[in-house]
Parts: sequence; C-alpha cells; structure tokens
Amino acid sequence: MRQSQSAVIERGVELEKVLETEPFEAAWAGEARWFVQFLRPAPGSTVEIRAQISPDGINWIDLESVSPLESEAVGFVSLPVERFGHWLRLRIEQTSGSGSPQLRIHLELKE
Amino acid sequence: MTIDTASVAAGVRDGMRSSDPRLSKFNPLPRILTMDDFNQGAHGWVELGGNYDGRGSLESLDHHFRDFRPPQLSNANFFDVGTHGGMTGTYSLKLATRQIPGHTATSIRRLTMSGRGLLQIEAYLAWKVEANLSGGEEANRYGDITWDANSHPSEAQFGAFTVATDLCSEGIRYHNVMRFQNTDADGHLIQKWMYPVVAEPTPHERFEGKHDYGTYADFTAPNPDDWRYLSDDRQEACYNEVPTKINWHYLRFVIDTRTRSNVELQFNSDVYDLRDVPVPPYDEKYESLENLLNFYFSVRTLGPHRNFLFLDSVVISTDW
Repeated sequence: MRQSQSAVIERGVELEKVLETEPFEAAWAGEARWFVQFLRPAPGSTVEIRAQISPDGINWIDLESVSPLESEAVGFVSLPVERFGHWLRLRIEQTSGSGSPQLRIHLELKE
Repeated sequence: MTIDTASVAAGVRDGMRSSDPRLSKFNPLPRILTMDDFNQGAHGWVELGGNYDGRGSLESLDHHFRDFRPPQLSNANFFDVGTHGGMTGTYSLKLATRQIPGHTATSIRRLTMSGRGLLQIEAYLAWKVEANLSGGEEANRYGDITWDANSHPSEAQFGAFTVATDLCSEGIRYHNVMRFQNTDADGHLIQKWMYPVVAEPTPHERFEGKHDYGTYADFTAPNPDDWRYLSDDRQEACYNEVPTKINWHYLRFVIDTRTRSNVELQFNSDVYDLRDVPVPPYDEKYESLENLLNFYFSVRTLGPHRNFLFLDSVVISTDW
C-alpha cells in the first residue's frame, strides 16, 4: 500500500497581492498535486500560481518543469508536480484585478 | 510450589519488549494501544480541527481553531547539514507554527477507552526554531541570549510545547495538560513545566456565547493567569547550541482515567509527581464523547519565528 497524505495548507486565506504558502516537507513523496479553490472568487482578476521548491525550507526557486498556472480567480484549479526534492510551497500572485479572493489550498502527497 | 502467573507473564512481556529495539527504548504499561513510528506514516496524528456547522462553513469555526497546521513527515532537512533524520530511521512527525506571535500548531490522535485505569503516553521528541540566514548584527541577539558560539539566539525564540489529553467518561470531560514553557513573549528564558487550572474553552461554549477568542489565542487556556508552574526549578534540556542539531528527549506522562487525575511526568531523568496537580473538569456534561481518549501535542511560538516540535516516535499504553 502506498503512503499518502492530504494537507490543508490554507483553509480560507485572503489573497493580498502575493501569498507564499508555509514550507511543507515532502521528501518521502514521489508525486504531489496542489488544489486551489476560490471560496470567494474575484471575477475580472488574473491570478498566477507557481510551484516552488527548496533545498532547506528557507531558500526557494520555481519548479522548472511546471509552467505557472493562470486563473481568473473563480472556481477550482489543480497543479500536479513531481521530481520536486524535499520541500514544496506555492507562490500565488494576483497580477490583475482589484477584488481580494479567498482561497482554500490542499496539497496531496503520495509515495 | 505455586507459580505467580501474573509476575511470570510480566517477566515474559518485559523480556520480549526489551529484545525489540523499537520498544526497548520505551517503558509502556502492560497493554500497548498504539506504537507510532513515523517512518511508516502519520499513524492517525492529524491537525486538530474545529467544530464547523452543518454547512461546513469556515465562519462557524472558532477563530483560534482555524489554523492548527497539518503535521509533516519530516526527514529533518537543514541548510547546513542536509538530512538529519530521525532517532530511528529517516522520518519524524513535525509540527510547525507560522512565524506569527501566538500561533499554535497542534496534532491530535483520536481513540476511545475500553477500560479505566492508568493511561500513559511516551515520546521521543525535540524542539527547534527555523534557522535564520539573514539580517545584521541584531540577529545575534534575542531576549536573554546573545550568540557566544555556545548559546544561540534561536533558543530564546522557542515558545512552548504541550502534551495533553481530551478525555470523557460518564459525560464528564477533562484535560490533563503538561507544557514545557521555554520563554516568555520577550524571549526571556523560563524553561519550566506548567499546567492550567481551568478547562480548555470549547466550541460549544463559544456557541453559547461564553467566549470568542482571537486567532492567536492560546487555545489550551487563553488567560496566562490560569497557568501554574509545576516546580520553581528550571528544567534543564539539550537544545544543543544551534537550531539544526537535534537531540531526542524522552517524555512520559501518566494519568489515571478512573480518578480523572494526573499521576506522573518524566522528562529524561527528571520525574515529577503530579498527583496534586489538578485536572479541572467541565461543569457541563458533554454529549457524543463517551469514552473519548485523545492525546494532542502542540507547539506555540511567542514571536515572529517558526517553532517546530519533532516527534520521532510515540507509544500510548494502559493497564486495563
């Protein structure tokens, strides 16, 4: 049986321009998938979501193999990642629009 | 010749356990309920969740119950040495706060009681602060500590960790709580065990309008005046100089569910008699919780620093 974990990384955070999620250790996992749900949408906005990786949980760079996801800040989006090393986080930036969306973020990890 | 079968059984049990390297580092009561080695997953330790309404709405949760953070299976990976690993194997369970004063990370394990009597939790644990890699000379000072290549300011940036229960029998609900208070909010070293003299505020009490705490309230007992020191003596420990060296400490906490009381706390070689430490029950009877047997660990930062509690392994045992 493969080990797995689903973590609620944010439960209802207000996006104020840029959000970098808390560092999460994922060394044991071979694959992961992010879910970002707009509990309160911000229609007319553009939100850019990119997966980031780190060797130490302190210094972060973009995961080069995954293109940033663009969303109109409504509904529900998902981003699969693999070969990410030991740490994961999301960097979410509202690149246009004025409303402040509210987000729920899940990280699913699997061996 | 009569044979004392109970003592023979105990001897056989002790012999088998002491020959098992996973168990020989523990001192469990006769019946082991759970043996959590975090090389094999989180074993049911999960973020403490709040009580939401029939629609699952975030607004229905107590503010201070909305963000207890998911536990992480950690290989204890650090900037200076790479993977530190666990006491046994690679992984431990890490509880991590945000870098916000007052934020608390809490993981809970949920069981029920099939008897009454002694109940014990043992763990090998370590507490750390996120390493800091920036700033100027001011980064060498925090609270009581100025870096001298022995003491490190990060030690003054760790707030507290707590081990506690949530138990209920015959509708009477109560918590046994022990907290290692490392510092105060200004980074002054305390390093003493503490316990609260009130029961934890519940979501039901908020529903009844009795309280409404803020996001970073201390959920175990929000009023600092409701805490007492177990002893005036400082609890010496092995933080070990920098935030990236992990030395595992032994913890053992014994309670009695028959009398709803505390019994004993052991921390490495120090043993504290807890029989006079009160366990305040709730005045009101609780529904839906009969035979509740929960343990939780929490870690609380008092400054803008991520605080971590690492659990290498945990054993819960009973004498019933």
